[in-house]
Amino acid sequence: MNTETQFGIWKDWRLHAIVLLVVVITEAIGTFQFSVGPGVILLLPMLYALIIGLVLYFTPVIKEKQSKNAEPLIVLGVALLLAKIGVIIGPSLPDIIAAGPALLLQELGNLGTILLALPVAIWLGIKREAIGMTHSVAREPNVGLIMDKYGISSPEGRGVMAVYIFGTVFGAVFMGLIAGFLATLTPLHPLSFAMASGIGSGSMMTAASGSLVAAFPNLEDQIIAFAGASNLLSLSTGLYVSIFIALPLTEKLYKVMTGRRDQKSVE
Amino acid sequence: MLLKNIQEWTLLLVIFGIISLVGNWVNYEIVPTSAIPGMIVLILVCLAGFILNHIIPINFPSVAYIALIGVAVSMPWMPGSEKVVEWTSEVQLLALATPILAYAGISIGRSWADFRKLGWKTLVVASLVLLGTFIGSALIAEIVLRMQGII
Repeated sequence: MNTETQFGIWKDWRLHAIVLLVVVITEAIGTFQFSVGPGVILLLPMLYALIIGLVLYFTPVIKEKQSKNAEPLIVLGVALLLAKIGVIIGPSLPDIIAAGPALLLQELGNLGTILLALPVAIWLGIKREAIGMTHSVAREPNVGLIMDKYGISSPEGRGVMAVYIFGTVFGAVFMGLIAGFLATLTPLHPLSFAMASGIGSGSMMTAASGSLVAAFPNLEDQIIAFAGASNLLSLSTGLYVSIFIALPLTEKLYKVMTGRRDQKSVE
Repeated sequence: MLLKNIQEWTLLLVIFGIISLVGNWVNYEIVPTSAIPGMIVLILVCLAGFILNHIIPINFPSVAYIALIGVAVSMPWMPGSEKVVEWTSEVQLLALATPILAYAGISIGRSWADFRKLGWKTLVVASLVLLGTFIGSALIAEIVLRMQGII
Protein backbone atom coordinates (compact mmCIF):
# COMPACT_ATOMS: atom_id res chain seq x y z
CA MET A 1 0.00 0.00 0.00
CA ASN A 2 1.32 3.44 -0.78
CA THR A 3 2.08 6.23 1.62
CA GLU A 4 -1.48 7.37 2.33
CA THR A 5 -3.73 4.90 4.08
CA GLN A 6 -7.44 5.56 4.20
CA PHE A 7 -9.06 4.49 7.45
CA GLY A 8 -12.38 2.87 8.21
CA ILE A 9 -12.92 1.05 4.92
CA TRP A 10 -13.41 -2.16 6.88
CA LYS A 11 -16.64 -0.60 8.17
CA ASP A 12 -18.18 -0.56 4.68
CA TRP A 13 -20.16 -3.75 5.38
CA ARG A 14 -22.41 -3.14 2.40
CA LEU A 15 -19.42 -3.47 0.05
CA HIS A 16 -17.95 -6.55 1.71
CA ALA A 17 -21.33 -8.31 1.94
CA ILE A 18 -21.94 -7.69 -1.77
CA VAL A 19 -18.50 -9.05 -2.69
CA LEU A 20 -19.07 -12.10 -0.47
CA LEU A 21 -22.35 -12.76 -2.25
CA VAL A 22 -20.73 -12.34 -5.68
CA VAL A 23 -17.95 -14.76 -4.66
CA VAL A 24 -20.42 -17.40 -3.40
CA ILE A 25 -22.49 -17.19 -6.58
CA THR A 26 -19.55 -17.23 -9.02
CA GLU A 27 -17.63 -19.99 -7.22
CA ALA A 28 -20.84 -22.07 -7.07
CA ILE A 29 -21.23 -21.70 -10.84
CA GLY A 30 -17.62 -22.89 -11.28
CA THR A 31 -15.51 -23.09 -14.44
CA PHE A 32 -17.00 -23.56 -17.88
CA GLN A 33 -15.01 -24.48 -20.95
CA PHE A 34 -15.87 -24.96 -24.59
CA SER A 35 -13.91 -25.67 -27.75
CA VAL A 36 -13.47 -23.20 -30.55
CA GLY A 37 -11.82 -25.15 -33.32
CA PRO A 38 -8.74 -26.80 -31.84
CA GLY A 39 -8.46 -24.32 -28.95
CA VAL A 40 -10.33 -24.11 -25.65
CA ILE A 41 -11.99 -21.03 -24.16
CA LEU A 42 -12.11 -21.11 -20.36
CA LEU A 43 -14.61 -19.11 -18.35
CA LEU A 44 -13.43 -18.84 -14.74
CA PRO A 45 -15.38 -17.61 -11.69
CA MET A 46 -13.09 -14.56 -11.46
CA LEU A 47 -14.23 -13.43 -14.92
CA TYR A 48 -17.90 -13.62 -13.91
CA ALA A 49 -17.00 -11.80 -10.68
CA LEU A 50 -15.45 -8.92 -12.62
CA ILE A 51 -18.44 -8.63 -14.94
CA ILE A 52 -21.03 -8.92 -12.15
CA GLY A 53 -19.11 -6.27 -10.16
CA LEU A 54 -19.10 -3.97 -13.16
CA VAL A 55 -22.82 -4.48 -13.79
CA LEU A 56 -23.60 -3.88 -10.10
CA TYR A 57 -21.86 -0.51 -10.33
CA PHE A 58 -24.66 0.64 -12.58
CA THR A 59 -27.40 -0.52 -10.19
CA PRO A 60 -28.48 1.29 -7.01
CA VAL A 61 -26.86 -1.55 -5.00
CA ILE A 62 -23.43 0.07 -5.43
CA LYS A 63 -23.00 3.70 -4.59
CA GLU A 64 -20.04 5.91 -5.47
CA LYS A 65 -18.68 5.34 -1.96
CA GLN A 66 -18.51 1.55 -2.39
CA SER A 67 -16.77 1.93 -5.72
CA LYS A 68 -14.11 4.18 -4.17
CA ASN A 69 -13.68 1.94 -1.13
CA ALA A 70 -13.19 -1.10 -3.37
CA GLU A 71 -9.88 0.25 -4.66
CA PRO A 72 -7.71 -0.32 -1.54
CA LEU A 73 -9.23 -3.80 -1.21
CA ILE A 74 -7.81 -4.66 -4.63
CA VAL A 75 -4.35 -3.67 -3.37
CA LEU A 76 -4.76 -5.85 -0.27
CA GLY A 77 -6.13 -8.75 -2.28
CA VAL A 78 -3.19 -8.54 -4.66
CA ALA A 79 -0.90 -8.50 -1.59
CA LEU A 80 -2.43 -11.77 -0.37
CA LEU A 81 -2.18 -13.18 -3.87
CA LEU A 82 1.52 -12.28 -4.03
CA ALA A 83 2.12 -13.84 -0.62
CA LYS A 84 0.50 -17.02 -1.98
CA ILE A 85 2.59 -16.84 -5.15
CA GLY A 86 5.67 -16.33 -2.97
CA VAL A 87 5.03 -19.55 -1.04
CA ILE A 88 4.51 -21.40 -4.33
CA ILE A 89 7.77 -20.03 -5.73
CA GLY A 90 9.72 -20.87 -2.54
CA PRO A 91 9.64 -24.69 -2.80
CA SER A 92 10.25 -24.52 -6.57
CA LEU A 93 13.10 -22.04 -6.23
CA PRO A 94 15.63 -24.56 -7.60
CA ASP A 95 13.40 -24.95 -10.73
CA ILE A 96 13.11 -21.17 -11.09
CA ILE A 97 16.86 -20.70 -10.84
CA ALA A 98 17.33 -23.44 -13.45
CA ALA A 99 14.91 -21.59 -15.74
CA GLY A 100 16.56 -18.24 -14.98
CA PRO A 101 17.93 -17.58 -18.49
CA ALA A 102 14.51 -18.15 -20.06
CA LEU A 103 12.85 -15.96 -17.43
CA LEU A 104 15.26 -13.10 -18.02
CA LEU A 105 15.27 -13.25 -21.81
CA GLN A 106 11.49 -13.53 -22.19
CA GLU A 107 11.25 -10.07 -20.62
CA LEU A 108 12.44 -8.84 -24.02
CA GLY A 109 9.36 -10.49 -25.50
CA ASN A 110 7.49 -7.43 -24.30
CA LEU A 111 9.00 -5.72 -27.34
CA GLY A 112 6.62 -7.95 -29.34
CA THR A 113 3.95 -5.40 -28.58
CA ILE A 114 5.82 -2.81 -30.66
CA LEU A 115 6.40 -5.15 -33.59
CA LEU A 116 2.79 -6.29 -33.69
CA ALA A 117 0.80 -3.24 -32.65
CA LEU A 118 2.80 -0.27 -33.98
CA PRO A 119 2.52 -1.13 -37.71
CA VAL A 120 -1.22 -1.71 -37.33
CA ALA A 121 -1.66 1.55 -35.42
CA ILE A 122 0.16 3.48 -38.17
CA TRP A 123 -1.76 1.64 -40.86
CA LEU A 124 -5.02 2.66 -39.14
CA GLY A 125 -3.87 6.27 -39.42
CA ILE A 126 -3.05 6.87 -35.76
CA LYS A 127 -0.39 9.56 -35.39
CA ARG A 128 2.01 10.13 -32.47
CA GLU A 129 -0.59 8.63 -30.11
CA ALA A 130 0.70 5.33 -31.47
CA ILE A 131 4.02 5.81 -29.63
CA GLY A 132 2.30 6.04 -26.25
CA MET A 133 -0.06 3.22 -27.15
CA THR A 134 2.38 0.60 -28.33
CA HIS A 135 5.70 1.12 -26.50
CA SER A 136 4.57 -1.12 -23.59
CA VAL A 137 1.52 -2.69 -21.99
CA ALA A 138 0.81 0.70 -20.37
CA ARG A 139 0.56 -0.11 -16.69
CA GLU A 140 1.13 2.56 -14.03
CA PRO A 141 4.96 2.86 -14.31
CA ASN A 142 4.73 3.32 -18.09
CA VAL A 143 1.94 5.87 -17.82
CA GLY A 144 4.25 7.75 -15.45
CA LEU A 145 7.16 7.48 -17.88
CA ILE A 146 5.20 8.85 -20.84
CA MET A 147 3.61 11.66 -18.81
CA ASP A 148 7.04 12.57 -17.54
CA LYS A 149 8.65 12.59 -20.96
CA TYR A 150 5.92 14.04 -23.20
CA GLY A 151 3.46 15.68 -20.80
CA ILE A 152 -0.10 14.86 -19.80
CA SER A 153 -1.94 16.47 -22.70
CA SER A 154 0.51 15.37 -25.42
CA PRO A 155 -0.62 12.91 -28.13
CA GLU A 156 1.72 10.29 -26.63
CA GLY A 157 0.07 10.86 -23.24
CA ARG A 158 -3.41 10.40 -24.70
CA GLY A 159 -2.24 7.22 -26.38
CA VAL A 160 -0.81 5.64 -23.24
CA MET A 161 -3.94 6.58 -21.26
CA ALA A 162 -6.20 4.95 -23.86
CA VAL A 163 -4.36 1.62 -23.58
CA TYR A 164 -4.19 2.00 -19.79
CA ILE A 165 -7.97 2.38 -19.60
CA PHE A 166 -8.49 -0.56 -21.92
CA GLY A 167 -6.16 -2.70 -19.80
CA THR A 168 -7.84 -1.65 -16.54
CA VAL A 169 -11.33 -2.46 -17.73
CA PHE A 170 -10.78 -5.32 -20.11
CA GLY A 171 -7.20 -6.60 -19.57
CA ALA A 172 -7.92 -9.46 -17.17
CA VAL A 173 -10.81 -10.78 -19.25
CA PHE A 174 -8.77 -10.52 -22.43
CA MET A 175 -5.67 -12.21 -21.00
CA GLY A 176 -7.75 -14.96 -19.36
CA LEU A 177 -9.45 -15.77 -22.64
CA ILE A 178 -6.41 -15.67 -24.94
CA ALA A 179 -4.06 -17.50 -22.54
CA GLY A 180 -6.17 -20.64 -22.33
CA PHE A 181 -7.06 -20.44 -26.01
CA LEU A 182 -3.51 -19.97 -27.34
CA ALA A 183 -2.02 -22.58 -24.97
CA THR A 184 -4.46 -25.21 -26.21
CA LEU A 185 -4.31 -24.05 -29.84
CA THR A 186 -0.57 -23.62 -30.48
CA PRO A 187 2.23 -26.20 -30.06
CA LEU A 188 4.06 -23.95 -27.57
CA HIS A 189 4.52 -25.40 -24.07
CA PRO A 190 2.18 -24.23 -21.26
CA LEU A 191 5.22 -23.21 -19.20
CA SER A 192 6.30 -20.79 -21.94
CA PHE A 193 2.87 -19.20 -21.74
CA ALA A 194 3.15 -19.23 -17.95
CA MET A 195 6.27 -17.05 -18.19
CA ALA A 196 4.54 -14.86 -20.76
CA SER A 197 1.64 -14.30 -18.33
CA GLY A 198 3.82 -12.15 -16.10
CA ILE A 199 3.47 -8.87 -17.94
CA GLY A 200 3.58 -6.66 -14.86
CA SER A 201 -0.08 -6.54 -13.91
CA GLY A 202 -1.31 -8.64 -10.99
CA SER A 203 -4.85 -9.12 -12.27
CA MET A 204 -3.85 -9.88 -15.87
CA MET A 205 -1.19 -12.32 -14.67
CA THR A 206 -3.70 -14.06 -12.41
CA ALA A 207 -6.33 -14.32 -15.13
CA ALA A 208 -3.83 -15.65 -17.66
CA SER A 209 -2.12 -18.14 -15.35
CA GLY A 210 -5.50 -19.10 -13.87
CA SER A 211 -6.79 -20.24 -17.21
CA LEU A 212 -3.50 -22.04 -17.93
CA VAL A 213 -3.93 -23.92 -14.62
CA ALA A 214 -7.53 -24.77 -15.50
CA ALA A 215 -6.37 -26.13 -18.88
CA PHE A 216 -3.29 -27.96 -17.53
CA PRO A 217 -4.08 -28.82 -13.88
CA ASN A 218 -1.15 -31.23 -13.52
CA LEU A 219 1.31 -28.36 -14.06
CA GLU A 220 -0.41 -26.07 -11.54
CA ASP A 221 2.47 -25.23 -9.18
CA GLN A 222 5.03 -24.79 -11.95
CA ILE A 223 2.69 -22.56 -13.97
CA ILE A 224 2.00 -20.29 -11.00
CA ALA A 225 5.65 -20.21 -9.91
CA PHE A 226 6.87 -19.26 -13.40
CA ALA A 227 4.10 -16.73 -13.97
CA GLY A 228 4.65 -15.17 -10.55
CA ALA A 229 8.42 -14.99 -10.93
CA SER A 230 8.07 -13.49 -14.40
CA ASN A 231 5.57 -10.91 -13.13
CA LEU A 232 7.95 -9.85 -10.35
CA LEU A 233 10.71 -9.55 -12.90
CA SER A 234 8.49 -7.46 -15.17
CA LEU A 235 7.58 -5.19 -12.25
CA SER A 236 11.22 -4.65 -11.36
CA THR A 237 12.85 -4.49 -14.81
CA GLY A 238 9.97 -3.43 -17.05
CA LEU A 239 10.44 0.28 -16.61
CA TYR A 240 14.14 0.09 -17.47
CA VAL A 241 13.45 -1.99 -20.57
CA SER A 242 10.94 0.72 -21.56
CA ILE A 243 13.31 3.63 -20.94
CA PHE A 244 16.41 2.18 -22.58
CA ILE A 245 15.06 -0.12 -25.29
CA ALA A 246 11.32 -0.03 -25.94
CA LEU A 247 10.61 3.69 -26.10
CA PRO A 248 13.66 4.61 -28.26
CA LEU A 249 12.84 1.64 -30.53
CA THR A 250 9.21 2.75 -30.86
CA GLU A 251 10.29 6.31 -31.73
CA LYS A 252 12.75 5.01 -34.31
CA LEU A 253 10.30 2.59 -35.94
CA TYR A 254 7.60 5.26 -35.95
CA LYS A 255 9.91 7.61 -37.86
CA VAL A 256 10.96 4.92 -40.32
CA MET A 257 7.39 3.74 -40.99
CA THR A 258 5.74 7.14 -41.26
CA GLY A 259 8.69 8.49 -43.26
CA ARG A 260 8.34 5.79 -45.87
CA ARG A 261 4.63 6.39 -46.15
CA ASP A 262 5.13 10.12 -46.61
CA GLN A 263 7.52 9.45 -49.48
CA LYS A 264 4.99 7.15 -51.11
CA SER A 265 2.24 9.73 -50.92
CA VAL A 266 4.58 12.26 -52.54
CA GLU A 267 5.24 9.90 -55.43
CA MET B 1 0.55 6.13 13.22
CA LEU B 2 2.15 2.84 12.26
CA LEU B 3 0.00 1.03 14.83
CA LYS B 4 -3.16 2.57 13.41
CA ASN B 5 -2.08 1.51 9.93
CA ILE B 6 -1.38 -2.03 11.10
CA GLN B 7 -4.83 -2.17 12.65
CA GLU B 8 -6.52 -1.06 9.42
CA TRP B 9 -4.45 -3.42 7.24
CA THR B 10 -5.17 -6.35 9.58
CA LEU B 11 -8.92 -5.74 9.60
CA LEU B 12 -9.09 -5.47 5.81
CA LEU B 13 -6.87 -8.53 5.27
CA VAL B 14 -9.07 -10.53 7.67
CA ILE B 15 -12.24 -9.46 5.84
CA PHE B 16 -10.68 -10.32 2.49
CA GLY B 17 -9.38 -13.59 3.94
CA ILE B 18 -12.83 -14.63 5.20
CA ILE B 19 -14.41 -13.92 1.80
CA SER B 20 -11.69 -15.98 0.06
CA LEU B 21 -12.09 -18.86 2.50
CA VAL B 22 -15.81 -19.00 1.70
CA GLY B 23 -15.01 -19.15 -2.03
CA ASN B 24 -12.33 -21.73 -1.26
CA TRP B 25 -15.02 -23.80 0.44
CA VAL B 26 -17.78 -23.40 -2.16
CA ASN B 27 -15.74 -24.25 -5.28
CA TYR B 28 -12.76 -26.24 -4.03
CA GLU B 29 -14.54 -27.99 -1.13
CA ILE B 30 -11.79 -27.14 1.35
CA VAL B 31 -13.48 -26.54 4.70
CA PRO B 32 -12.47 -23.21 6.26
CA THR B 33 -11.10 -24.87 9.41
CA SER B 34 -8.35 -26.63 7.42
CA ALA B 35 -7.54 -23.50 5.38
CA ILE B 36 -7.42 -21.03 8.30
CA PRO B 37 -3.78 -21.74 9.30
CA GLY B 38 -2.64 -21.11 5.73
CA MET B 39 -4.65 -17.90 5.49
CA ILE B 40 -3.15 -16.66 8.77
CA VAL B 41 0.36 -17.32 7.40
CA LEU B 42 -0.47 -15.36 4.21
CA ILE B 43 -1.92 -12.45 6.21
CA LEU B 44 1.20 -12.34 8.41
CA VAL B 45 3.44 -12.31 5.33
CA CYS B 46 1.43 -9.35 3.95
CA LEU B 47 1.62 -7.46 7.24
CA ALA B 48 5.37 -8.02 7.43
CA GLY B 49 5.70 -6.65 3.88
CA PHE B 50 3.57 -3.56 4.59
CA ILE B 51 5.50 -2.85 7.79
CA LEU B 52 8.88 -3.21 6.06
CA ASN B 53 7.71 -0.90 3.27
CA HIS B 54 6.61 1.59 5.91
CA ILE B 55 9.77 1.66 8.02
CA ILE B 56 12.49 1.19 5.39
CA PRO B 57 13.00 4.55 3.70
CA ILE B 58 13.70 3.33 0.16
CA ASN B 59 11.34 3.25 -2.79
CA PHE B 60 10.66 -0.49 -2.97
CA PRO B 61 7.04 -1.57 -3.44
CA SER B 62 5.35 -3.45 -0.59
CA VAL B 63 4.13 -6.16 -2.98
CA ALA B 64 7.76 -6.96 -3.80
CA TYR B 65 8.62 -7.27 -0.09
CA ILE B 66 5.60 -9.53 0.33
CA ALA B 67 6.54 -11.83 -2.52
CA LEU B 68 10.15 -12.03 -1.31
CA ILE B 69 9.08 -12.82 2.27
CA GLY B 70 6.70 -15.47 0.90
CA VAL B 71 9.59 -17.03 -1.01
CA ALA B 72 11.90 -16.81 2.02
CA VAL B 73 9.55 -18.57 4.44
CA SER B 74 8.83 -21.42 2.02
CA MET B 75 12.31 -22.12 0.61
CA PRO B 76 13.47 -25.71 1.14
CA TRP B 77 16.41 -24.41 3.24
CA MET B 78 14.19 -22.54 5.69
CA PRO B 79 13.38 -24.42 8.93
CA GLY B 80 9.63 -24.98 9.24
CA SER B 81 9.01 -24.33 5.55
CA GLU B 82 7.23 -27.71 5.13
CA LYS B 83 4.51 -26.48 7.51
CA VAL B 84 4.17 -23.18 5.65
CA VAL B 85 3.83 -25.01 2.33
CA GLU B 86 1.43 -27.59 3.76
CA TRP B 87 -0.86 -25.01 5.37
CA THR B 88 -0.89 -22.50 2.51
CA SER B 89 -1.57 -25.24 -0.06
CA GLU B 90 -5.09 -25.39 1.43
CA VAL B 91 -5.73 -21.85 0.15
CA GLN B 92 -6.35 -22.01 -3.60
CA LEU B 93 -4.80 -19.23 -5.71
CA LEU B 94 -7.99 -18.80 -7.72
CA ALA B 95 -10.03 -18.47 -4.52
CA LEU B 96 -7.96 -15.35 -3.79
CA ALA B 97 -8.34 -14.09 -7.35
CA THR B 98 -12.16 -14.14 -7.48
CA PRO B 99 -12.74 -11.54 -4.72
CA ILE B 100 -9.96 -9.34 -6.18
CA LEU B 101 -11.77 -9.19 -9.48
CA ALA B 102 -15.15 -8.70 -7.77
CA TYR B 103 -13.77 -5.62 -5.99
CA ALA B 104 -12.03 -4.61 -9.25
CA GLY B 105 -15.30 -4.83 -11.20
CA ILE B 106 -17.04 -2.57 -8.68
CA SER B 107 -14.13 -0.15 -8.78
CA ILE B 108 -13.62 0.04 -12.56
CA GLY B 109 -17.26 0.97 -13.05
CA ARG B 110 -15.97 4.51 -12.58
CA SER B 111 -13.61 4.09 -15.58
CA TRP B 112 -16.44 2.83 -17.78
CA ALA B 113 -17.37 6.27 -19.09
CA ASP B 114 -13.75 6.75 -20.25
CA PHE B 115 -13.74 3.26 -21.71
CA ARG B 116 -16.86 3.99 -23.75
CA LYS B 117 -15.12 6.99 -25.33
CA LEU B 118 -12.32 4.86 -26.80
CA GLY B 119 -12.74 4.39 -30.53
CA TRP B 120 -12.65 1.06 -32.35
CA LYS B 121 -9.11 1.75 -33.56
CA THR B 122 -7.94 2.02 -29.97
CA LEU B 123 -9.62 -1.29 -29.11
CA VAL B 124 -7.85 -3.02 -32.02
CA VAL B 125 -4.44 -1.55 -31.19
CA ALA B 126 -4.78 -2.14 -27.41
CA SER B 127 -5.73 -5.80 -28.01
CA LEU B 128 -2.66 -6.20 -30.23
CA VAL B 129 -0.50 -4.57 -27.53
CA LEU B 130 -1.50 -7.28 -25.02
CA LEU B 131 -1.36 -10.04 -27.62
CA GLY B 132 2.08 -8.87 -28.83
CA THR B 133 3.77 -9.00 -25.45
CA PHE B 134 2.13 -12.32 -24.60
CA ILE B 135 3.17 -14.06 -27.81
CA GLY B 136 6.59 -12.39 -27.91
CA SER B 137 7.44 -13.53 -24.39
CA ALA B 138 6.05 -17.03 -24.95
CA LEU B 139 8.12 -17.49 -28.12
CA ILE B 140 11.37 -16.42 -26.45
CA ALA B 141 10.63 -18.54 -23.36
CA GLU B 142 9.88 -21.54 -25.58
CA ILE B 143 13.17 -21.20 -27.49
CA VAL B 144 15.32 -20.76 -24.36
CA LEU B 145 13.55 -23.48 -22.35
CA ARG B 146 14.01 -25.90 -25.26
CA MET B 147 17.67 -24.99 -25.65
CA GLN B 148 18.14 -25.63 -21.94
CA GLY B 149 16.27 -28.93 -22.23
CA ILE B 150 13.76 -27.98 -19.52
CA ILE B 151 10.72 -28.67 -21.69
